Amino acid sequence: MIISKQKPLEELLDAIKNNNSFFLVGCSECASLCGTGDDAAIAEMKKRLEEKGKKVTGGFVAKTGCQVLGTKVELKKFKEAFDSAEALIIMSCGAGTQAAVEIFKDKPVYTANDTLFLGNMTRFRVFDERCSLCGECIINKTGGICPVTNCPKGLLNGPCGGMNNGKCEVDREKDCVWVRIYNRLNDLHRLDQMEEIAEPKDYGKHTKPSALTGKKD
Amino acid sequence: MRKFREALEAGEFLVTAECGPPKGTDLKEMLKHAKELFGKVHALNATDNQSSVMRVSSLAICKLLLDMGHDPIFQLTCRDRNRLALQSDILGAHVLGIRNVLCLTGDYVTAGDHKGAKPVFDIESAQLLQVVNSLNNGKDMAGNELKGSTDMFPGATVTPEAKPIEPQLMKFRKKVKAGARFFQTQAIYDVENFKGFMKEARKYNVKILAGIVVLKSAGMATFINNNVPGITVPQNLIDELKAAGKEKALSAGLDIAARTIRAVRDICDGAHIMAIGMEDKVPEILKRAGI
Repeated sequence: MIISKQKPLEELLDAIKNNNSFFLVGCSECASLCGTGDDAAIAEMKKRLEEKGKKVTGGFVAKTGCQVLGTKVELKKFKEAFDSAEALIIMSCGAGTQAAVEIFKDKPVYTANDTLFLGNMTRFRVFDERCSLCGECIINKTGGICPVTNCPKGLLNGPCGGMNNGKCEVDREKDCVWVRIYNRLNDLHRLDQMEEIAEPKDYGKHTKPSALTGKKD
Repeated sequence: MRKFREALEAGEFLVTAECGPPKGTDLKEMLKHAKELFGKVHALNATDNQSSVMRVSSLAICKLLLDMGHDPIFQLTCRDRNRLALQSDILGAHVLGIRNVLCLTGDYVTAGDHKGAKPVFDIESAQLLQVVNSLNNGKDMAGNELKGSTDMFPGATVTPEAKPIEPQLMKFRKKVKAGARFFQTQAIYDVENFKGFMKEARKYNVKILAGIVVLKSAGMATFINNNVPGITVPQNLIDELKAAGKEKALSAGLDIAARTIRAVRDICDGAHIMAIGMEDKVPEILKRAGI
């Protein structure tokens, strides 16, 4: 899922300082799991904005905020509330915010969140990053553990010289991913996979902005 | 000046030292140290934004060392350059007359003084060695023909004191396979451990220069342990520096360096002295080591 974190209120207030009334949109998917775009987060945001003298004309949790057409349909029943707002505050990820930008062509749209990474949830609202969406997955050769993401340098050919007592040079609290990969391949009797020199990645496969048409004819 | 490669191929015990480019354009001190080492080392490494601290470019320093009559080793990290910049700097080094290149991944940017910099790591050390060999054979990374190939002598690093050692040895074998001809190791403090590493290294046709990081005080050793990736000074050496007292700590540090060189002299192919700010002490270390 996409991990998001609410911006500090002061930063949001500065961004919205030219508007006085808002309609709030959350998202029932990732942002709800992160607690940044569920009903409770919207209610809390409404309260905090009102304390600062702003007006909130309404709000709702979109089913999938990044789904442009679906969100547009869901919004229909809130027409009066959003029409009476000067601007929108989106409480989901950057993709959800930009879906709203596409829908609300004549109103300012602000995001309440910083979008952080594609994450795994390990405990309630505890997330870590295991995939960087690089477009060329190599984990079939690395015991199913991604070094592109789990190594700060994204090394493809083993640990760097900074690995110490199995820990990462950059964060001494974290295990070096290449030691984890080594141990896993050792357990699976596939250490031979670590002897091959991995080719440089083809960054041409992930030229921003990406697009994909997955529709079958 | 091809002293390094010639001596290496002749099987001499090699001595190299590190030359840290300054932060700023005042080169007086660095050039003075380089001059003092003239005739005492086979080659001088110019470090590349060492510990991710921004300094004069290693390529520029290599050219100055070459003009002085030294045989420079161009340290090249993947941290600050993508594949275009790496290749163009290797071609640049060749046309300036530089012939040795040490292929490094590089410390992470947060180790240094520009913590917000974008880390590049487009390719990494083992792949960079392959690139050098490709350029030597007249082709760039994309397979395009070069108009004039390079003649660079590629080296790499290895950390014999890494724990666990197995993943590090796998990487070492990859670097050998990728074409490394010599290795300048990370700091060696445990000679017994180094003997074990050399047993593995001797299976391959590469030369190994033991890395000697000079210690000047117990405080410096502790600082290294906390801040310098890849180096761990053992407690017994920290105790030895402490016991020497403030005034004699530096001399004790030089003794430790000289003692290590003597101990590794018969088991590897050379010593690479990283004096980190004490470059002026390198001749004294060599004297005490009997070289």
